[in-house]
Amino acid sequence: MTSTMGDPAATPAATADLWAQEREPAQKPEEPSLSAGEWLGRNLFSSPVNSLLTVVFTLLVLLAGRGLLNFTFSEERVWRAVKTNMRFLFTHAYPQEQYARVWFCVGAVAVLSGLSIGLLAKTGRGISMKKLSMNLMAAGGAIAVGILLREPSATVDSEGLVVHREPGTALDDSFAGWIDANSLALLGLLLAANVALAVWFRYQGVYLRGGPEPRTAHGVLVLASAAVLIVQQYGEGEIVRESFGSAMADRAWWWLAAALLGAAGGALWFGLGDARRRNTFVPAMYVFFGAGALMVLSAWVYPWGHYAFLEGEFISEPGSTVAMTTKLPWTVMLVLLVASFEAGRALRATPAGRRLRVPLNLLWVLAPFVLYWAVLRDPDLDWDHVLSTDIPMALFFAAFGGLAVWFLAHPRIGEVGRVIAVALVGVAVLNWVAAFFGWYPMLQKARISFLLLAVVALLAHNFAGDRTHRMRLVVAWVAIMAVFHWLVTLVNSPSTVDTPTDALFGGFATTLTVATFTLLLAFPMGVLLALARTSKLPIFRVLATAYIEVFRGVPLITLLFFFVLIFNLFLPGGMSLTDIAGATIGFALFSAAYLAENIRGGLQAVRRGQYEASDAVGFSTVQRTLFIVLPQALRVSIPPLVGQVIATFKETSLLAVAGMFDFLRIADKVISAQSEFLGVKREGLLFVSFIYWIFAYNMSKHSQRIEKRLGVGER
Amino acid sequence: MSVSDATTALTEELAARDDMIVCEGVNKWFGDFQALDGIAAVIKEREVVVVLGPSGSGKSTWIRCINRLEAHQEGRIVVDGVELTNDLRNIEKIRSEVGMVFQQFNLFPHLTVLDNIMLAPIWVRKKPKDEAEELARSLLERVGIPEQAEKYPGQLSGGQQQRVAIARALAMEPRIMLFDEPTSALDPEMIKEVLDVMKELALSGMTMMVVTHEMGFAREVADRVIFMEDGQIVETGTPEHFFTNPQEERTKLFLSQIL
Ligand SMILES: Nc1ncnc2c1ncn2[C@@H]1O[C@H](COP(=O)(O)OP(=O)(O)O)[C@@H](O)[C@H]1O
Ligand SMILES: [Mg+2]
Repeated sequence: MTSTMGDPAATPAATADLWAQEREPAQKPEEPSLSAGEWLGRNLFSSPVNSLLTVVFTLLVLLAGRGLLNFTFSEERVWRAVKTNMRFLFTHAYPQEQYARVWFCVGAVAVLSGLSIGLLAKTGRGISMKKLSMNLMAAGGAIAVGILLREPSATVDSEGLVVHREPGTALDDSFAGWIDANSLALLGLLLAANVALAVWFRYQGVYLRGGPEPRTAHGVLVLASAAVLIVQQYGEGEIVRESFGSAMADRAWWWLAAALLGAAGGALWFGLGDARRRNTFVPAMYVFFGAGALMVLSAWVYPWGHYAFLEGEFISEPGSTVAMTTKLPWTVMLVLLVASFEAGRALRATPAGRRLRVPLNLLWVLAPFVLYWAVLRDPDLDWDHVLSTDIPMALFFAAFGGLAVWFLAHPRIGEVGRVIAVALVGVAVLNWVAAFFGWYPMLQKARISFLLLAVVALLAHNFAGDRTHRMRLVVAWVAIMAVFHWLVTLVNSPSTVDTPTDALFGGFATTLTVATFTLLLAFPMGVLLALARTSKLPIFRVLATAYIEVFRGVPLITLLFFFVLIFNLFLPGGMSLTDIAGATIGFALFSAAYLAENIRGGLQAVRRGQYEASDAVGFSTVQRTLFIVLPQALRVSIPPLVGQVIATFKETSLLAVAGMFDFLRIADKVISAQSEFLGVKREGLLFVSFIYWIFAYNMSKHSQRIEKRLGVGER
Repeated sequence: MSVSDATTALTEELAARDDMIVCEGVNKWFGDFQALDGIAAVIKEREVVVVLGPSGSGKSTWIRCINRLEAHQEGRIVVDGVELTNDLRNIEKIRSEVGMVFQQFNLFPHLTVLDNIMLAPIWVRKKPKDEAEELARSLLERVGIPEQAEKYPGQLSGGQQQRVAIARALAMEPRIMLFDEPTSALDPEMIKEVLDVMKELALSGMTMMVVTHEMGFAREVADRVIFMEDGQIVETGTPEHFFTNPQEERTKLFLSQIL
């Protein structure tokens, strides 16, 4: 699984100005790695101030870590509430017996991700063995420290209640009890000793000499402080707790994990020499797969317990592994991810792989629609209507539009083309005016198809070309019509999935759905708004500016209230928006304004010379914008765009305020209202924060990688 | 043959050729500032004209008016028989007839060298992709950097970038090439490689209008030199006449500073 890679081809292609200049593959003189002690001395204990900062922050980190661990693993935490409600947290009311559909969706995303990463991602050199082994040992060490820091478990009586010590019976003559009673004084003393040492070393000039004394002395004092923090917890308090020995024995699984990680890291470290450690790389994805495999493996062997809420019954089996309906699907997902990644990598250099790139990106755009309307809703198609109306109409628009595109994209169509296009636009607009006044009936999708056709006709001359080229345009049009009419038909059919609530699902699925569709809607809107705001035509500029300023000035929550709760009152009878659709529209309108401003920043970064060069070679405005200006502007705006994506993702938690059953609401209100878990909130909230954090952190990491690859910010 | 004989001979020879660029009384203002003041000139087919003049004299403004990167406000500009007006169709037609090379190269940084050259032939000239690629590769061969086709502009030296820019302009198969100080942003050692390409282009019979401070190029290649100052054409003549026997005081002053 490891490969030695020194080839400079791994450096991504760089371009001028805003793009990184290609550098010579840096031939750093090989300086040997520092030993751990030297590293500590140089980085943490190099001066008195540095040493004291190290001491104080180490203690703060230990204290905070101890607090978090004690909170998380306290006997008072009812983690069963989270484990039992996993399905609720992620999909709320989506029925259990239809769950194969949910897994299908996850699987589809796994396959798309694997293929994309394997096929498209510029992976760089990967992770060096040195870094990998250090991270493994650090993880093992962190677990070991965590095991020691966590307080001993409380003793519970036969009814599961925590046993409190009778007042006045505390035995304070144990060693731990003494430490506990005097912990503040001891910690203060150790800190004072650290300060005194720092000052003394300073005046002896020890720091300047760079000798080992400071790191040794300070290190011992820090370890002593840590020991106080650990032993203190075994002191006799109000609650009766287990002994040190049994506490450590209870944590056998964690010791095993720490030992395995540490041993793996250590084996790598000591098995390879310094040079090989630094120059051998594993692809980052394999490390990710390894972590995933460990987690899936733990689902099969570790007694996480089997908890569920099925048909009103709570199932609670603490000693067993997780349910088959959890561990089997996740195993399959991991296999799918790995397999598609390998497939993508195998295809990467082949012509087939190159041809797959565009379709793959299109699939990402299409996937949310297909997964939501086709897979999760399993629409109940009315076949009579489909055969009598939907298919003929789709065929008509495909054929008629295809012909129009074929004709209008002819290189020498000239004026005739413009006249026809304008006429089509006229008819398209007329259709909408007619709808408003009720002159003639027409299906909404026919109106939309016609409008699409008119827009395509108007733009067609920009994409004119020879026969094969025009054929491709026609095929693209037919494909767009097929997908569009198919999706509209699905949307218009009732769902066969029966849920007890108005919404198809809730929880994290809602969060993801709203976030995804918001971005799909808001991104093109944002691009158009940004272009309009920088346009030469005053009417566009004024409209776009007004839109942006209005929507940036309105609090998001009012938009949500309006679109989720009030908007339906304004719609004509028989029409209504579901909560998810309303929320998505509100979010999209809001995000579009912010995205537009980010993209406008990118547009302004495109140099005037680029416009002039495009004009000088004869590009039309549309061509210049599509081929030259936007690609450059979007690249520059990637960091703020990702920031906006993360913000949107997290802001979906406002859905709870608008009364929707989103991720946060389930944790906050639903679980704590169940009779078994009355008032249990903290666990759910902690879990929800953790999941939000994982997603947001990964997005931001990913954006950093993209930035690095494009060299944004490097001049 | 005396200088004036040469001038007469050239004038006669040129008179027989077609007009490529005709400017009549061209005026242009930036706000209240008049950048072009009654420019009148005719540039013939296959002629190479070098425009000289101090900085700020309006050379760039004039040359950019010829492919409508700037719009003139008074007078007539006729390029290859088509008059430049606000009519979009004329502008599109002229831009595809006129190639332009800029001081700052202005290559598209997000596209490979090959795509930089192919994009306009495909989308403006509607050439099939393989023909466009063939053309692009042959042009890269012509400007002497066929091996750089797959690189990005940021990976090339200034001289190479400018040669790609020339190839990009040539890919539209223009009848006229405009150069606005093509070597001013280059390190001295790269100037020659660009000038060589331009010389070859001139020899091949391209109509060229070149703003440059390279006197050697003007002497060797130009059919005519036009000297501008304060938005006006001060003096016109063959290089020989111009460098050995300038008539106007302002021209003499300029040449004394620059030579
Ligand atoms: N876009 C513009 N706006 C205002 N003034 C301009 C603009 N472009 C050029 N000018 C002015 O017009 C004059 C001629 O400029 P230019 O044609 O660039 O001169 P040259 O190329 O001969 O150095 C200069 O004084 C310059 O300041
Ligand atoms: Mg200039």
